[in-house]
Amino acid sequence: MPGVDVTVEVCGMAGDGTIAAGGMINDAMSHGGFSVLGFDSYPAEIRGFGRCVTRSRVGDREIRALDEETHVLISLNDEESKSRVPVLTRDCVVLFDSNPPVLVEEDRSLVAILDPETRLFPMPFGDLAAAAAGTQRGRNLVALGGFAAVCGADPELFREAIRSKFKAKSQSVLQANLKSFDAGYAYALEKFHDRLLTMFASADLPKGPEKVMLSGNMAIGKAALDAGLKLYFGYPITPATPIMEYLARELPKRGGAVVQMEDEISSIGAVLGASYAGKRAMTATSGPGFALMTELITHGVMAEIPAVILNAQRGGPSTGLPTKTEQSDLHAAVFGGPGDSYRIVIAPTNVTECYYYTVKSFQLAEKYQTPVIVLTDFYLDNRVENVPMPEAREEDVRDGNIYPNVSAGEPYKRYLRTESGISPRSIPGQAGLQFTATGLEHTERGKPDYSARNHMEMSAKRFRKIQGALADLPEPEEYAPDGPLSVGVIGWGSTFGSALEAVLAARERGLRVGALKITSLYPYHEAAIRKFTSRCEEVLIPELNYSGQLISLIGRLCRKEAIPLNLATGEPFPPSLIRKKIEELAEAGAQ
Amino acid sequence: MSREHWVVIGNGPAGNAAAVTLRKFVTDARITLIGEENVPEYRCNLLPDFIAGALREEDLFCTPIQRFREMDIKLRLGQKVTDVAFERGELKLAHNEVVRFTGMIIACGSTPSIPERLGMFRDLMLPLKTLGDAKRWIEKLARVDSVFVAGGDLTSLCFTRALLALRKRVMFMLCPDSFWPIPLSSEVRRSCSARLEERGVEVLDCAKIENLTRLSEDSVEVKTDAGSLVVGAVGAFFGLVPNVRFLARTGLDLERGILVDEYLRTCVENVYAAGDCAQVYHPGIRAYWVSIGCPNATEQGRIAAMNLMGGSLSLDVPQENIFEVDGIKVNTSWWMEL
Repeated sequence: MPGVDVTVEVCGMAGDGTIAAGGMINDAMSHGGFSVLGFDSYPAEIRGFGRCVTRSRVGDREIRALDEETHVLISLNDEESKSRVPVLTRDCVVLFDSNPPVLVEEDRSLVAILDPETRLFPMPFGDLAAAAAGTQRGRNLVALGGFAAVCGADPELFREAIRSKFKAKSQSVLQANLKSFDAGYAYALEKFHDRLLTMFASADLPKGPEKVMLSGNMAIGKAALDAGLKLYFGYPITPATPIMEYLARELPKRGGAVVQMEDEISSIGAVLGASYAGKRAMTATSGPGFALMTELITHGVMAEIPAVILNAQRGGPSTGLPTKTEQSDLHAAVFGGPGDSYRIVIAPTNVTECYYYTVKSFQLAEKYQTPVIVLTDFYLDNRVENVPMPEAREEDVRDGNIYPNVSAGEPYKRYLRTESGISPRSIPGQAGLQFTATGLEHTERGKPDYSARNHMEMSAKRFRKIQGALADLPEPEEYAPDGPLSVGVIGWGSTFGSALEAVLAARERGLRVGALKITSLYPYHEAAIRKFTSRCEEVLIPELNYSGQLISLIGRLCRKEAIPLNLATGEPFPPSLIRKKIEELAEAGAQ
Repeated sequence: MSREHWVVIGNGPAGNAAAVTLRKFVTDARITLIGEENVPEYRCNLLPDFIAGALREEDLFCTPIQRFREMDIKLRLGQKVTDVAFERGELKLAHNEVVRFTGMIIACGSTPSIPERLGMFRDLMLPLKTLGDAKRWIEKLARVDSVFVAGGDLTSLCFTRALLALRKRVMFMLCPDSFWPIPLSSEVRRSCSARLEERGVEVLDCAKIENLTRLSEDSVEVKTDAGSLVVGAVGAFFGLVPNVRFLARTGLDLERGILVDEYLRTCVENVYAAGDCAQVYHPGIRAYWVSIGCPNATEQGRIAAMNLMGGSLSLDVPQENIFEVDGIKVNTSWWMEL
């Protein structure tokens, strides 16, 4: 029996209920036991403008990325949906409104430009919603009903998703939505009875632990709570705002507080202040906000103050592409700011890692007394995956601070130059352990000192400390057979899932290829990376940026020049593009 | 100068021949072929063989869709034309889309006719005109052993042959009108009954259906003027009618079908009709006539296309349109009304 691997898109104008419909598809299919990865794309403008698209890849095997092709399109606005035609498979299922309120000219029609092999399912979305519930607002629910009937999905899964979605609303709202869904379902069953499909009905689903739908942002928020976050300071910015919204609801229940600051500079300042005082604190921002924070981040480096900073990357530079994804803040995260300001930068590659690496970042920040930057991107933050609910272990959340030995009897040196570079840290208020924390270069006791020797020694101490953090940072993970590889693909962040899918697909075609996942971007595990690259004939590094920021960071670790594969489209990296490049390189190498 | 946009309505042999001919001679015009069914052109005369399992579905199709892409013919399947405004050069599709055209060939074919008095039993009778009909028959025949066939035309006889190949019990009611223009005299009836019975068909001595009752999903009681019987399914072969209802208020001259001259021209400039939706004027007999069958439709499609491009080809005098199947003479004019 062929497996299930279906990508479903809902496309409409802002205000059509597109995102809500996509969310309910994700929930329903997840309840049905499928693996789901969903991602929304929406305009930067407020309601009433621009195209919204949700993409959900649904399968009976693990799903690591969205692919390029779409198998089912639910069009809530035909003119907007025309932009999706290039990604539709030739035999794509298309559900569309057969009775739009005004006549549509051919040059504005979706149907006019579809391939003749497209399977069309016209439905009067608005009319059915109005007849069922007295309002056309439920036309997205009618479309979902049609989708369930046409594609052979269990309608009860959708009804459950609708109940869950509208549980906080009144009974009349819930019933109206259920009626709209049922109207669409019944209409499609009757109207298309002789060409209904069984895309989902025949799946032989693996049994596993119960899963929940989590977005990257929700995973980060939950991780911060579970890690014992006490204070969140932030300023809203896409795509990081949902973290603040989530914490604003949940953190006060656990005795913490969320404070919306006047800007990003004050946000990082407040985080440093709270951390200095011994409380776990964090902020989340995106590229433009991160740029504002850089001076104070380096203050955290110099004064050796813990801080957790989440940078949810989006298209840049400047305000850039607020609702598009990109991996172009890597250099800013690793090198941004004045001076030799080494800091820890980690980048999760999926929703589960968003949770565990956020939890880990608090301990790392405390132990190494430094800002830790968790680098995500719009695609990772905003996508949803159904995963087993992540839970932090006790040892993952325990206090990471190394405190001074108060019984030593010697004067306390807050910035003691130790072999590891880690100086025992006191919390303000501890008797006899007072110190000065300053952004000026300083002595072991914190007194400003600009002498050449002191600056050299303190720079070395801070560098040593950060390099030592490698012991606590995740090693790169290899997904490769033993022995030589014709192509090795190194991926980071959200792109790694696409890279791994591409590598697995290429292996199924008989190619000797492998993938390496790097999550610790600074410091990084040189030896492990060299070990992998040394057995690769070619090393390919796909990134969602124009210039190849990872390749310029680690490219020197390859025995010959690594090959960049860069996309700056604002869209997630399609696995098929990486696979094609792998095949091209493998073929060239074989000749 | 604006580019020509020629629209062909109908994805059967006439429509396909028209579109391909247009493209053959003109490379820079837009050509759109609109078909109501969701599948590309297929050989409908082979549907009984498909039902009998002698052919696979893919064997029915005529031209691969890829060929239309190569020819730059826009094939729009599963889309229904609901109205045409010839004076404005616009047609409207069922999903409220407006398409503008500079020339049109109408080859929208015909649809199974159900006598008005039997209209209330429409859901209890299965016709055989489209691939969808054939699939429904395949599904039904997997569950039933007996079929009541009301007919006498070419399709009903070919279908009966398929039923016999599947070892189904067939009860046949000879409908006089299906034999048009041959009168169903007692001699023809006797001869025809004998031929059918030789092959194992039970020919019923009745002339009309009076009532149909669904007893279960796969069981229907048929009451005729000669008595009652219970069968698994009922086949409706009462002839065909042209699909021209959507043209009723467009100003086009219609009778049963679309009236065209021997050049297949309608009364509207740059609009032609071809295939079994067209009633063609025959200057020799000074009357309109209709021909059916794939070769005739293909030829009409070709001629209509040539004339739309400025030619002046006229249709040849039709052959005698009577087929003989298994020794039984039947009419070829499927779309006469009963």
